[in-house]
Amino acid sequence: MEKINIICIDDQADVLNAVVKDLAELESHFIVEGCDSAADCEELLEEIDANGELLALVISDHVMPGKSGVEMLTELAADPRFQGTKKILLTGQATQKDTIHAINQANINHYFEKPWDKDALVNEAKKLVTEFIFEKGFNFQDFQGVIHSETLFKYLK
Amino acid sequence: MKNLMKYFLPFAIPILVLVIPTEAFPIDNLTITEQRVIALFLLAALCWVLEPIPIYATSVLVIVLLLMMVSNKGLIFFRTGDPETLGTLVSYQDIMATFASPIIMLFLGGFFLAMAATKYRLDVNLARVLLKPFGKNPSHVMLGLMVITAIFSMFMSNTATTAMMLSILTPVLALFDKKDLGRVAFALAIPVAANIGGIGTPIGTPPNAIALKYLTGENAINFGEWMSFAVPYVVVMLALAWFLLKILFPAEKTEINLEIKSKFLKTPKAIIVYITFTVTVLLWLMGGRHGMNSYVVALIPVAVFSITSIITKEDLKTISWDVLWLVSGGIALGLALNKTGLAQNAVSAIPFGEFSPYVVIAGAATLCLLMANFMSHTATANLLMPIVAALGTSMESLLPLGGSIVLILAVTFAASLGMSLPISTPPNALANATGHVNSQQMAKVGVILGVVGVLLSFVMLFVLRQIGFI
Repeated sequence: MEKINIICIDDQADVLNAVVKDLAELESHFIVEGCDSAADCEELLEEIDANGELLALVISDHVMPGKSGVEMLTELAADPRFQGTKKILLTGQATQKDTIHAINQANINHYFEKPWDKDALVNEAKKLVTEFIFEKGFNFQDFQGVIHSETLFKYLK
Repeated sequence: MKNLMKYFLPFAIPILVLVIPTEAFPIDNLTITEQRVIALFLLAALCWVLEPIPIYATSVLVIVLLLMMVSNKGLIFFRTGDPETLGTLVSYQDIMATFASPIIMLFLGGFFLAMAATKYRLDVNLARVLLKPFGKNPSHVMLGLMVITAIFSMFMSNTATTAMMLSILTPVLALFDKKDLGRVAFALAIPVAANIGGIGTPIGTPPNAIALKYLTGENAINFGEWMSFAVPYVVVMLALAWFLLKILFPAEKTEINLEIKSKFLKTPKAIIVYITFTVTVLLWLMGGRHGMNSYVVALIPVAVFSITSIITKEDLKTISWDVLWLVSGGIALGLALNKTGLAQNAVSAIPFGEFSPYVVIAGAATLCLLMANFMSHTATANLLMPIVAALGTSMESLLPLGGSIVLILAVTFAASLGMSLPISTPPNALANATGHVNSQQMAKVGVILGVVGVLLSFVMLFVLRQIGFI
């Protein structure tokens, strides 16, 4: 069974912990990792790729010391190694310009405003990882419990 | 430990069977080739039950091992030896031809029809139109959904039909009160109807097509004949299932509004799809009156949709090749059992002739139903059908009941009735994924329908015999 990762990025430790905790129910089938900066995330990306693991989803904050979330997601979108990876921007401080950039250049799949609703975030994460599972050709029956059923029907009909 | 069994047993037992001397088997004059087929049959059976590898991969493995070990172009040291003890080798062309067996072509045609229908939204539009007369009363809507699901699953895969119908139903299910048992009834109605509906035509579900493979010569059944007895059976089973679901899980909600946003497409391509679909089904229903059998007819939509680019190169890649290969493996296994003479030898070694034919039919159907609940319906049919067919032809006591056809059909129907667990069939897995049904509720309905269904199939076969159909 291949290892599939989900990365959460936020410079504020309490926010990061909350996001990782919200995603706890996905840990049965995915490795959920937290990073406190874009640089930290990039290091992890190299490690994931070197180990031949997959990256299903990145949930990133925008305003962080160093490289911003949108900048990092833009680079990720252009990285041929992570073409299927789904991206969520989770921020309270993105300007309209940042947001436009995030949609057009970083091709984010979803935008959440802080404070976020736990159920909505988990539901969206499940939806995106289900898409990832199908796009990568995995057997959905190996992912009982984390599958988003409506997305499942969309792919199977 | 469990993993060890799963990965160790399917390969260890066949190897053990390969190395013991042929005299150790309770079959007289067993040849070495036949012994190898026994080992490969066990390999297939254990791999399909325990699933150490995907089920279609087991099929491919079986075909390749058959080619290497029992074909006339196999590995050199599998071919040399005293012809007396070695036995009959199988032609490699025959084994490879199972990938393009007429049964596979029939299914390919079915896939093309279903893909085109889905692509041009014929399925959704038909569902919308057909659902209208059923109104808004929950129990009527449920009946409507079941009828439509059953009709669709006769021509589309049970899985695709279930996915389509559940996606229509999901927004409505979300409006049900958490405590309202009605949502259980609705979520179960779809997979149940899809499983039952699959029985209706030879292309409804792979076990039916596998059965056709063994219904040859005077037992041959064409598309229309199959539907003439299978559709009435499906109707009765659907009615039973509907009553059962209504009684077990009564809905409190008094009105249901299914909204399907879609219109019939009127583009030239869509019209070609409608016409081709209708013509193909009509040609199938006419039987052999136009000279073409159902296998030849099945290739007509393949040609039409390819020429018109209704099915494109990209669509081709989405065909469920795994299903086709799974069936091929079963056909190859059956071929090896027959051509090496093992089937006849093994059957004559056991005094089945002395058994009551009723016991044999009931036993085979029960075994099939049990297996189909725990493993793939197609794999079940792959394993049981060649044995049952050999048994049927050798048992003279079956003749007064209608001969081997009775045994084959009883097993085929039972294969589709295994639906008591989420793992029994993909439609069940989908219903389970909605989160509206728990395993006990599914098991309750599945067990009752499975047992009643098998009994009902006996009644149907009895009636068919009485009216002289078989």
